[in-house]
Amino acid sequence: MTDALLEVEDLRVTFAAGGREVRAVDSVSFAVSPGATLAIIGESGSGKTVSCRAIMGLLPTGTAIGGSARLRGTELLGLSDAQLRRHRGSDLAMVFQDPARSLNPTMRIGLQITEAIRTHRKVSKAEAQTQAIELLRLVRMPAAERRFHEYPHQLSGGMRQRVMIAMALACRPKLLIADEATTALDVTTQAQIMELLLELQEELDMALIMISHDLGLAASYADEVIVMYAGKIVEQAPAAGLFGTGGAVRMRYTRALLDAIPHLERPAHTQLPVVGGRPPDPTALPSGCSFAPRCQYAEDDCRATVPALAEHAPGHRWACWHPCENGGAA
Amino acid sequence: MAAPLPDVTLASPLPPPLPSLVNARRLRTQRVGRALRLWVPAGVLILILAICFLLPLVVSLPSSTKGNIIYNNEPPFSPGHILGTDVQGVDIFSQLVYGGQVAFEVGVSVTIIGIAIGGTLGVIAGYFGGWVDAVVSRVFDILIAFPALVLALVIAEGLGPSEMHTIWALSVFGIPAVGRVTRGATLTIRGLPFMTAARLAGTRGWRIITRHIVPNIAPTIVTFSLLGIGVVIILEGALDFLGYGIPAPTASWGKMIANGQQILSAQPEYVLIPSIALLITVAALNMLGDALRERWGTQ
Repeated sequence: MTDALLEVEDLRVTFAAGGREVRAVDSVSFAVSPGATLAIIGESGSGKTVSCRAIMGLLPTGTAIGGSARLRGTELLGLSDAQLRRHRGSDLAMVFQDPARSLNPTMRIGLQITEAIRTHRKVSKAEAQTQAIELLRLVRMPAAERRFHEYPHQLSGGMRQRVMIAMALACRPKLLIADEATTALDVTTQAQIMELLLELQEELDMALIMISHDLGLAASYADEVIVMYAGKIVEQAPAAGLFGTGGAVRMRYTRALLDAIPHLERPAHTQLPVVGGRPPDPTALPSGCSFAPRCQYAEDDCRATVPALAEHAPGHRWACWHPCENGGAA
Repeated sequence: MAAPLPDVTLASPLPPPLPSLVNARRLRTQRVGRALRLWVPAGVLILILAICFLLPLVVSLPSSTKGNIIYNNEPPFSPGHILGTDVQGVDIFSQLVYGGQVAFEVGVSVTIIGIAIGGTLGVIAGYFGGWVDAVVSRVFDILIAFPALVLALVIAEGLGPSEMHTIWALSVFGIPAVGRVTRGATLTIRGLPFMTAARLAGTRGWRIITRHIVPNIAPTIVTFSLLGIGVVIILEGALDFLGYGIPAPTASWGKMIANGQQILSAQPEYVLIPSIALLITVAALNMLGDALRERWGTQ
């Protein structure tokens, strides 16, 4: 794909922890087209956040990063902080999980937004203030002029997340990464923020990477879904190819995740299927498929050799020796 | 077919309402207690500062350095000498007032020097980390390892006693103390997501320090500084007591205690009066610091 906005190829991130090496991200490749929505799904420690932080240049110094991440042809990995500053904000922006702690408690929110504007554009204070209030309106902040002068503790969690989004959008980024942006919010607010993100995405013609552990959220909002496990992509497909009618989940782990979503139509007091076991210790990954120890369909070949991620159907890639037939719906 | 509802007579009237889980009176007591814990020490400090710095401007006090030997050893509440006079006939209340000025001058100066130098280094060390942090932290460690009083004695011995030298000598202790606290507070703030958010927004280093770090660590530094002023006042008293602090003839609490010590059994009030002044001042500073820490929720 040459028309991709962001092209990540063979991304590898290795931390050195207490003399041992931790492969947090292993050979991850994906591409995001302009205006598209990509969801990256996985448990804690599956490498989804680390991948995006590597692209944003937010990993601590001393982390070994390999592979490439090109933003419209420009290599992002290995850029210095000063070089990255030109891309951050205007090309790439990010919204975090914890809106309570992502705003400076001692600064009025208006000032925090104008700061984001004025570091990238040479505009007067008054002009920046007008733009900031416009941004607050853009993120549907009620009473934007009044809120401009308030401190973060005066806002609710959802409103704080709107401020975070306003800050991220200050310079009209081409790509917005939402790292668990709705996880800390309650379900109603979560839906509002997701709707807002999608509306803004359309208005501003912006690509969106949503990182989440919520498969249901990804199913409802994303164009394409990547499922990560233990630092690797285990399944990648258009959202329509995975969920809904005609959808066909192949990878056993995705299936297990999907089955673990509680459904209202299930009979009451039945046990909720869960993914048994725990995520593998990243310092001691099994020799074969890293999901094999938790997979009830695992056979000897699973434990011996790592299945490669390959395109088995158009647009649908998975890494599994014994994939589910027909989506494997129970 | 629905049966008509039977007439029900309650055996007893409505049960008494459940006792409220929140005890309004206790809440009020707690609020009053919190206010008292802040305003009592604050009021005491304001009073002491007013007596030391404003009173001499309004009322003409007897000399704190010269006295008439004829009127020596006057008891408290003598005419013209509210707290009496000492062996040399010098007015004790005046000595207390001018000695208090010295105590606060030294205490506040050392703390300000500590914040200016130690605070700046601490923020830089905490923010940049790496070898900068390693170098600055080791320097702090070395300075803290020096026994402050002994070092102050050496400086006073070498440079001669003076208020300025006392301030610099005690700063050797004040700078690393404030520096360490600032570095710790900066490290805590640096790890919070809004720092990453500010970096992502493209905010530059010095602006991150002035806008995002300093306002957030200020409460910690202020509370620590109040406790620090108390410690410095005690150290300064000790230096004066040993005769290496403020040179004669300026009055100081430490010297008053040292002079009174010689006739402690005959006239204990010569030691008691400055000691009580020292105790009340330092206790008020500590209590105010604790109350502010409680209010701001800092460590």
